[in-house]
Amino acid sequence: MKHFLLRALFTLLFLAVPVLGVWTFVKAEDWGLWFPPIASSYGGSIDFLFFVILWMVTITFIATEVLLVWFIFRYSKKDPTRATYTHGNHTLEMVWTAIPALLLIFVAFSQMKAWTTVKINFPSDGPYTVQKPLMEVYASQFDWRVRYPDAQGNFMGADVIEVPYDITVPADTKVVFRLKSRDVLHSFFVPVFRLKQDAVPGMEIPVWFEATKPGDYDLICAELCGWGHYKMAGKIHVLPPDEFQRWLAQKRAALYATD
Amino acid sequence: MTLRRHRSAALLAAAALSPILACKFEPRTPELHYSLNAKAIASNPDLAGDPGAQAQLEGALEMLVGTPRNPRFLTLPEWLADGFDPNFWGEDHVKADEAAWKALVESNQKAFHQQLAAIRDGRFEALVRPRFADDLWERWQSLRAEMPAGGPDAEFLTTDDGQKVSWREEALYRFENYYPSLASSAALYHNQCFHCHGAEGGGDGSTSRFLEPRPRDYRPGKFKFTALKGKARPRHEDVFRILAEGVYTTAMPSFRRFTDSQLHGLVDYVRMLSIRGETEILLASFYDPAEGLHFDNVRENYVDVVGRWRGAPEQLITLVGPIPQPTPERVAHGRALFTTPGEKGGANCVSCHGTSGRGDGPSVWEPGKVGIEYTKDDWGNPIQPRDFTRGVFRFGRRPIDLYRRIYAGINGTPMPEHIGMTITENGAQRAMTEDDIWDLVFFVRELSSQSPLVASAGGAERQEGH
Repeated sequence: MKHFLLRALFTLLFLAVPVLGVWTFVKAEDWGLWFPPIASSYGGSIDFLFFVILWMVTITFIATEVLLVWFIFRYSKKDPTRATYTHGNHTLEMVWTAIPALLLIFVAFSQMKAWTTVKINFPSDGPYTVQKPLMEVYASQFDWRVRYPDAQGNFMGADVIEVPYDITVPADTKVVFRLKSRDVLHSFFVPVFRLKQDAVPGMEIPVWFEATKPGDYDLICAELCGWGHYKMAGKIHVLPPDEFQRWLAQKRAALYATD
Repeated sequence: MTLRRHRSAALLAAAALSPILACKFEPRTPELHYSLNAKAIASNPDLAGDPGAQAQLEGALEMLVGTPRNPRFLTLPEWLADGFDPNFWGEDHVKADEAAWKALVESNQKAFHQQLAAIRDGRFEALVRPRFADDLWERWQSLRAEMPAGGPDAEFLTTDDGQKVSWREEALYRFENYYPSLASSAALYHNQCFHCHGAEGGGDGSTSRFLEPRPRDYRPGKFKFTALKGKARPRHEDVFRILAEGVYTTAMPSFRRFTDSQLHGLVDYVRMLSIRGETEILLASFYDPAEGLHFDNVRENYVDVVGRWRGAPEQLITLVGPIPQPTPERVAHGRALFTTPGEKGGANCVSCHGTSGRGDGPSVWEPGKVGIEYTKDDWGNPIQPRDFTRGVFRFGRRPIDLYRRIYAGINGTPMPEHIGMTITENGAQRAMTEDDIWDLVFFVRELSSQSPLVASAGGAERQEGH
C-alpha cells in the first residue's frame, strides 16, 4: 500500500510538469504574457515560423513526457531486480535520428522566405531604398538617436534633423534605414514589428520595415550593452504618410527658429 | 559519518542565517544628509582642521535646502513680498509660459491616461500608482478621503472666479496639471541621475569614473550649455533641453521617456543642488575662525547665489528678425576670420580648432612632449576642441545654437566670448559684430557638411599627418 502511494505521488509529480507547462502556454494570452499585436507587413511570417517550431516542440514534449510518466508508473519495482543489458535496437536508432533530421531540414527550408524578405531582399520600388534611406539610426550608450537627411537627401548636410528617443516614420510605406552604433553592440528591437537587428560599431546595416498601423510603439535595446542597458528605450511613432510629410516639413522649418 | 554530516549541515545553516540575524531590521534609514564638498573644505585650512566648523557648515546648508529626502528652499520674507518662492520656482516659471504649460499638461495626459480613464469611468479602485510621483499619489489618496457624500459628481469647491468644480473634475485636474514637488524630483534624481552625478551633484557618482567626458559637477554653478551672455547661470529651459535631448557623444542620454512635468521637476532639483553647492563653496572659502558662521553671512551668500539664477533669463542672446542667409562671400569672410591667428588680427579659431577644423590646432597640445597633453577645463578634465568635420554639436546644431556658442563662448572651457573681440581687418582695428559671428557660423556649418560653398570659398586646408 505504502509503495503504491509513493509510486502514485511520483507519477503525479512528474505529470505536473507537462500539464503545468502546456497550461501556461494556453493561458499566456489571458495573462498578458503573449506577443503584442503585429504592426508590420512581415510580422505574420515571423510569427508563423514561431508557431511551426512551437507546435513541433509541443508535440515532442507531450509525447516524451507521457512516455516518461508511463515508465515511472509501470516500471517502478518494489524489490531491486537485476538489470538486463542491451546493445540497442538499430532500427529504432535510425528512426530517432532520421525524424529530427527531417524536421530540421523542414525548419531550415521553411524559414528561407521570411529571412530573405526581412534581411536580404530590401525594397527597391518604394520612395526609400538602401541607397536612399529615410533615416539613419544611431545607437550609443545609452540612447537612440535618429538622423533625417536634409532636403537634398544628404546625411552629412548642415541641415540634417537629429532627434533623440523619438523615431517618427510613415505608415504603409516601405521604410529603409541605416543602423549604426557609436560604441558597442546594441540591438534595435521593435516587438510589434517583429524586427530585431544588431547594431555593430563600424558597420552601416540596412534595415527595413513597413508599419501597417499608425501608433506609438516601444523600441528597446535587445543586446546587453553596458550598465545603462535598461535605460536604452525609445519610441517609434508611426504617422499616416501625409501627416509624416507635414511633421518633417515642420522639423525642417524648426531648424531656423530663433527661440 | 552521520554526525559529521549533521554538523556540516548545521554549520551551513548557521552561515546562511548569520547575515540575516546579524542585521538590525530598520524600516527606513533614519535620515540622509548631503555630504560636504571635500575640495572646498580642503581649500580653506582653517575649515579643514576644524570638524566643529564643518558640522556648523553642514547644519547651515541643511537649514537652507533641507535633506535629500526632504529638500526645500529656505524662503526669505523679502522674496515672498516680491511674489517669489524658490520652492515653486519651476512651476511658476513654466506656468508663466503658456506654450510650455500646455505641453506639460499634454504630456501628463499621456503619462496618466490609465489613471485619467479610471477616474472618468469611476473605477477608483483600478487606479495604478504612477512611477516616481509619490506626491501626486498622496494627494490623490487624500482627495479620495475627501470625496463628498453626494458622490464624485457633487460639488467639491468653488474657484476664485465663482466657478463650481465637481470632485471628479478636481481629480482629473490634479493629474493633468501635476507638477512634482522637490522631494518627488529628488526621488527620481536618486533613481536616474545619482549614479553618475552623485547625491550632491558633484559629478562623482559610482559610475562617473567610467565616463569620458566626466559628468557635470553642479556645485561650482558652472554649466557649459546655456544660451546666455556673460557666463550666466543656465535658464530653466537650457537645463530642460539637456534633459530632454541628452548630450550626443557623451554618456548623458535623453530622458524623454519621462513626462515633461518630471523633467521640469528634475531641472528644479538640479538648480537646488547647484545653489547649495555654490553657497557651500562661497561659505567655505570665506570662512574665518575668528568670526565663525553667522546667519547674516550665510544669508548674504545664499541671496547672492539665488540672485544669479534669478537673473539668468535676462541674459538670453536674442536675435531680431529672421536668420541671415549664407552667401559665398559671407562664408569666405567667415573662413578668413576662422583661419587668421590672433596675432594677425583674426578670430584665432585655428589655434585650437586647427586649419582644417578638426580640433587639432597648435594650442591643444604642447609640441616637444611625448604624446599629447590636452588642455583642461575648469573641472580639471582634459578636453578637446570640437572637430567640426564630424558634424556633432553637443548643444544643438541649429544656426541659432552655433551663433550663441560663438557669441558667448562656452563656460568653463577655453572657448572665449567672441562678441566685441578685437580684430584687425584691412589694417583697421575693430570689435567683432553680430554679422562677423554669423559669418563664422556659416563657415562652421559648411565645414561640418563639406558642401560646395566651402569649395567656392577656397576650401579648408587639410593638415598632413593628423
